[in-house]
Amino acid sequence: MTNAPQVQSATGKYYVVYVCMLVISAIELLVAYRHPGAHELLGALLILSFIGAALGVLYFMGLASENRSAIIGFAVFTLFVLAAINYSWTDSFRILLGVPYAK
Amino acid sequence: MSHSEVVLEGSGHGHHVPVFEPSPFAVPAKKLAMWLFIISDIMTFAGCLIAYGFLRNAQPDWPRPYQSSTIISVMIMTFIMITSSLTMVLAVRAARAERRDEAFRFTMITLVMGLVFVALHVREWFSMIGQGVTFYKNPWGTGLFGGAYYSITGIELLHVIAALIAFVIVGMGYKRGRYTAVDLENCGLFWQFINIVWMFVVPLVYLMNVAG
Repeated sequence: MTNAPQVQSATGKYYVVYVCMLVISAIELLVAYRHPGAHELLGALLILSFIGAALGVLYFMGLASENRSAIIGFAVFTLFVLAAINYSWTDSFRILLGVPYAK
Repeated sequence: MSHSEVVLEGSGHGHHVPVFEPSPFAVPAKKLAMWLFIISDIMTFAGCLIAYGFLRNAQPDWPRPYQSSTIISVMIMTFIMITSSLTMVLAVRAARAERRDEAFRFTMITLVMGLVFVALHVREWFSMIGQGVTFYKNPWGTGLFGGAYYSITGIELLHVIAALIAFVIVGMGYKRGRYTAVDLENCGLFWQFINIVWMFVVPLVYLMNVAG
């Protein structure tokens, strides 16, 4: 019994993710040079970065092939803390605009 | 007798032999430790990038100085980092399959690409210094720009250098049989994490500040 096709599919998966990451970087460059508004640019770049990061974490770091409890444990904890860090945006708007939200 | 102990009966003498508790999440302990370290480092970089965003949003005179030459250099660095991610994952795959020479070769290719990245990064720093950007002032706007730029890229560069040192030590050790595939995989995890951080640093620090 050979697992050569499985090995080849795993390697092929890595190349697909590699190309996707390059494409994401190219799209980010194109979006930046269209010079949209700051909020639109930030939103687009963050979405693209998160997609690229998700591909990297799931396939290059191998999280997708780990135990389900590991995925849930790492992902939920990390995302919760990252979301909690964003409380500082209200302070940023308050300093700039006098109110804790964008006008 | 706790559930983590077993009693061996042999030659009429029974004795307790402690058994290690199974590792949480069913991953090797070394790998779990690396994941926990990576999660803590994510918080470090997230804090730096959020603070950078805070400053950028609060300063009305935040400069947007990056010309095409800088952006081209940064995109070359991005290409190098993403390609080195691929070579490292191929190294880990070869290590798992006990193909030591191939794993070592891919690890060294990753190391060389990392060195090129460091060289380009340092060159970019010298370029910024030559244009008058310091921690406290720059010729374009608020002095906070330089501090934010050098802090974030400096922490990234420090992580890259640490990873490259790890590649040398663990790569050579793995080739000689001192380290296992799990050790090489842990180095790979750290390198992938650094590349993922770079995928956030480039858009937020560079692409958000492209000269109009």
